Amino acid sequence: MNLEDELRAALRREDPSLGFAKRVVARAKPSPQSNRPIFRMAWAVAIAAMLLIGLTATYEARQMKAERAGRDAVMALRIAADKLNNAREKVVRREN
Amino acid sequence: MRRTLLIPFIAVCVASRLPAQLLQLRITGLDGLASKATESADITLDSNLLQMAAGFLAGADKENKDGETLKQLLTGLKAITVRSFKFKESGQYRREDLEPIRAQLRSPGWSKIISSQTKEESSEIYTRIERGKVAGFAIIAAEPKELTIVAIEGSINLNDLSKLKALGVPSIPVPDKKGKQE
Repeated sequence: MNLEDELRAALRREDPSLGFAKRVVARAKPSPQSNRPIFRMAWAVAIAAMLLIGLTATYEARQMKAERAGRDAVMALRIAADKLNNAREKVVRREN
Repeated sequence: MRRTLLIPFIAVCVASRLPAQLLQLRITGLDGLASKATESADITLDSNLLQMAAGFLAGADKENKDGETLKQLLTGLKAITVRSFKFKESGQYRREDLEPIRAQLRSPGWSKIISSQTKEESSEIYTRIERGKVAGFAIIAAEPKELTIVAIEGSINLNDLSKLKALGVPSIPVPDKKGKQE
């Protein structure tokens, strides 16, 4: 048998066995029972992570705002105390 | 029926808020000074920010008394506004610039408790008393190279405020006052 005949024999058309198409379609379909829990878990983890990131960012922003407000309040009261004491001193000196 | 009850209720609520809003000091007419100043402070804190500040200061300074004192001082306050400017040279602002603020402080409710005036500088302290308690406090400190306006809304103990420096709150760096005439 020469090479040409061998190739022809190897590449000849053959009909698939009975039920081949059904088997292919069945394999191609994702198994719902095996994949669903993983998908659900992945979603839950993703949502939890997003919530955690969001809450942390909100908390951090609030802390920063509070810190800035605290510094501003101290500065404001410091200026007020300084000016109040200066005015009092001036009056006391003038009276003496 | 509901409407007839609701309208008087809203009217009473608005009327009860109105005097406080009218008496609240508004620092206006000083916007252009910041660009002339070498240093300036512009602080505006409303009641929400003051609550946050009090919480932060109490938490940050648990070990000594300053945090608690500051928290007590801040608890009764509704608003703080500070405008402070330091200039390189004198004559950067006019006395008339302060007139809109002084005009508000001449309105009923406010009374001047301390006034020290010389040719070059003046210090004025005003308070607003409601039901026997200090409900507002204002300072106008005008010096040749420095101008400070403080408006505090809410109940505040001036003696506690003046003790702040003694409690360890660092003083603000002010220019050397030696040689200045009082």
